[in-house]
Amino acid sequence: MFASPENIARKARLLPLMAMIVVAACSSVPETERTDQRDPYEASNRKAFAFNMAVDTHLLEPAASSYRKLMPMAGRRAIDNHVDWTGLPATTFNSTLQGRFENAGLSAIHFTINSLTLGLIDLTENPKAVKEQDFGQTLASFDVPEGNYLMVPLLGPNTSRSLTGRIVDGVTNPMSFLKAGSSIGTMQSLRTPVAVVAQRANLFEPFNDVKYNSLDPYARTRSLYYQGRAGRINAKIGKPTDNRTTDDQFESFLENPK
Amino acid sequence: MMILTQTLKMLTTVKRWLGKKLMVICLLPMALAGLPAHADSQINAATEVITKMIGEVEAYLATDSGDVAKRTQNIAQLFDTHFDLEGIARFSAGPYWRAATDQERITYIQTMRDVMVGTVVRNFDQLSGLNFTTIDSQAKGEKMVLVRGTFNDATGKRPPVSVGWRVITPSAAPAKVLDVEIENISMLVTQKQENIAIIRKNEGRFSALIEAMKERRQSR
Repeated sequence: MFASPENIARKARLLPLMAMIVVAACSSVPETERTDQRDPYEASNRKAFAFNMAVDTHLLEPAASSYRKLMPMAGRRAIDNHVDWTGLPATTFNSTLQGRFENAGLSAIHFTINSLTLGLIDLTENPKAVKEQDFGQTLASFDVPEGNYLMVPLLGPNTSRSLTGRIVDGVTNPMSFLKAGSSIGTMQSLRTPVAVVAQRANLFEPFNDVKYNSLDPYARTRSLYYQGRAGRINAKIGKPTDNRTTDDQFESFLENPK
Repeated sequence: MMILTQTLKMLTTVKRWLGKKLMVICLLPMALAGLPAHADSQINAATEVITKMIGEVEAYLATDSGDVAKRTQNIAQLFDTHFDLEGIARFSAGPYWRAATDQERITYIQTMRDVMVGTVVRNFDQLSGLNFTTIDSQAKGEKMVLVRGTFNDATGKRPPVSVGWRVITPSAAPAKVLDVEIENISMLVTQKQENIAIIRKNEGRFSALIEAMKERRQSR
């Protein structure tokens, strides 16, 4: 009656493809009607956001709330460690592409060492030494334009560039080649849903603050996404993003505050 | 004779040139010395306002009895003293500030202040146990300083949070906080983008933003 973890994982892998189809079906909003120039598909993006919020209300928020109550801190830390560990091959791959060989080497070493515990326990001295890198950041380092803002059902906020990055990272991650059936395969199948619940639990209060206390949760989410993403790209690649930085906005305000 | 005249002309030119150079050479260190001094006083003023404000919050927390009215009074006083409310209002309204009437501006500043005070009062308990440590302060141009630091939870239950305070430092007025950045995300930029979205959805009516804010405040 219930889908097996393997089936869920197989379907989950189709999500990016479904997302692309949804995005392709979006109709563009005229510039004058946009609340942000980077968001030409605002009308359909808002519908996708409403869908995501409904999924959150009925599934994710209750699951994350139970997870916070029932899962001991040690268990939560182990899950967070495992999720971080499974992302290390992508960091190695993307750091190499970006020419950041030290980070590539470090992430490969961390992955190898922590594979002894399947990433559940971090055995390295300084886990924060590795700077997480995804293919979206690699594209940014190659000066690929950011593209438009896309709110993707179930996947959340993206830009065309970061969505492409997520798909490439999903396809190139060697962890995704593990065959289902073995215990590692089952773990792999459960990883995505568990990671999503764990992340929602880790951001429980700030997420709820945006969801319940914002004047326009959609616009606030978009702003937070752009600033967070720009911060990551600026900090880790050292190149300016396509958007005006926060400093620029304040500088121009102070020059002409009226 | 001609050679002598040319030599004299050349010497006069060199003297003039040297005179200008000497003036520049003499003035440049003074000008340069003035710049770091200004930057230093900017940084000191900004760091001082943050230290003072954090001290006041810690004092409120130490004597807090859970009385919401008292909390509201304390936090409101904190905002009025240390925050540039008009600057925050102007920035967060974006280009629509210019189009707003005087009355709308006054109402907006008041409503925005009440919303901010309400938000802090609602989350006041979460501030308990947090210690702020300043990491560094850097001048951002001549009128602003970014004071960066970390909030650490004394119990260790919550991870450290990096915070940046954007403090405006006018030469003829006290330094005041304009923005708070949490994990490199500017609260003011976020608020501005949200506000602009609301005004644009309502055909550019600034009053629609004020109505939405009042509605939200009443629903809490």
